[in-house]
Amino acid sequence: MKTTEEIFQILKENFPNSELTLKTDVPTEPFIIIAPFDVDKISLFLRDNPDLLFDSLMCLSGVDDFNGQKVKDENGNEVMQGGTLSVYYHLESTSIRHKLVLKTSTSRDNPEVVSVSEIWNSANWHEREAFDMFGIKFINHPDLRRILMPYDWEFGYPLRKDYQNPEFYQGMKVPY
Amino acid sequence: MITEFGKVFIFLLIAILFVIVAIAVSRLIRPARPTYEKLTTYECGENPEGSPWIKFNIRFYVVALIFLIFDVEVVLLIPWALVYKQFGWAGFIVGGFFLLLLALGMAYEWRKGDLEWDRPKPQPPVIKKTKSTQTVINKEEVVEV
Amino acid sequence: MGLLDKEFSDGNIIITTTEDLFNWARLSSLWQVGFGLACCAIEMMATSASHYDFDRFGVIPRPSPRQSDVIIISGTVTLKMALRVKRLYEQMPDPKYVISMGSCSNCGGPYWEHGYHVLKGVDRVIPVDVYVPGCPPRPEALLEGLLKLQEKIRQESLVKKSA
Repeated sequence: MKTTEEIFQILKENFPNSELTLKTDVPTEPFIIIAPFDVDKISLFLRDNPDLLFDSLMCLSGVDDFNGQKVKDENGNEVMQGGTLSVYYHLESTSIRHKLVLKTSTSRDNPEVVSVSEIWNSANWHEREAFDMFGIKFINHPDLRRILMPYDWEFGYPLRKDYQNPEFYQGMKVPY
Repeated sequence: MITEFGKVFIFLLIAILFVIVAIAVSRLIRPARPTYEKLTTYECGENPEGSPWIKFNIRFYVVALIFLIFDVEVVLLIPWALVYKQFGWAGFIVGGFFLLLLALGMAYEWRKGDLEWDRPKPQPPVIKKTKSTQTVINKEEVVEV
Repeated sequence: MGLLDKEFSDGNIIITTTEDLFNWARLSSLWQVGFGLACCAIEMMATSASHYDFDRFGVIPRPSPRQSDVIIISGTVTLKMALRVKRLYEQMPDPKYVISMGSCSNCGGPYWEHGYHVLKGVDRVIPVDVYVPGCPPRPEALLEGLLKLQEKIRQESLVKKSA
């Protein structure tokens, strides 16, 4: 059993060149913020290190932080510029029985995160869902297609805060 | 005077007439509005892909043949089982010989390996270790430098 | 084809008697498409099961739309599913009827504003005969909807519709 602080110290020793931040002053469980292009290295270390052995990715979720600049576009709709999108990784070790939360933030205009689907197979569909809902591109993902929305959905990523519903989809009126 | 088989014939005739009349009447009075969508193949609402006339694996033929043999065996054995007591030992031996022939055929088929169905072997998921060894090597290199 | 279907210009006693017979036959054996979408489908199955016994009205779930008369839209119709629902409806033989069951298929239900993926009412793709409100409706409500549909079929006519 290791707390997030101890895991953070281990990570700091092993990845001296990576940006790592520990967040403890949050109402939820503490989490570690990592850079989007270090995700696969750190994840692999977390899985295979005999002191950590995080063999299970419980959940991978995308979040729209909505912290950029609100701009009105030509139609008068509010559009977000700049800011970040985040991905949260909830890990668990089934043998050592400890948990860890990782967070990585990527820019909203070109959201790119390295995929962990090679490391935990369960990440495959979770990453497809995050791509479907937020448009976060997972580099090295074997099959990054939409998973829930129709394949011909061209109206953006529906869980982004500034998403606008289309008027029609395949001849069907969408708004109420 | 009508014979017993004549009664069966009349029964068959009435059955066939009943079906033909029902189908003909329903064809006359039903509303028929065929459209392209209605005439396409039913695929639970999905777009039909390819032709429904697909080729089945030839091994199903063997299964079907064996099923047929044992089906016929049951059909022949049930009347025999009802009356073999009247024929005594002779009837029993005839039935047993028939069963023996079938069992021999079955044994021959089994021995020849026609009942074998080479399934694809299940492949357990392999956890990829290649990446981890790479990182370990990298770390050692860093230590040496 | 359809020797009698909506072919007559006026209704005399023979035609009205025939159409009574037709309507009686149609409303007494409404076979439904075995088709469930969301939580309303659980109530639909409960209605089909022994306690509420849909079968006493002649409603039997069929595995194919080719053999069915009524489709019960039981649950949330997503945009992806709406295209399939439409095709299923179009593959049913005439005469065909639609019962929209539950708030979601009536009008979008709880997804009416923020449901980016939900069709706000199945009547945007197929014509609906009976709306059953509720979220989800109790089996009694579905039975009531079926009785309403039977009443509607009882009023049908073989006479040509005048404009």
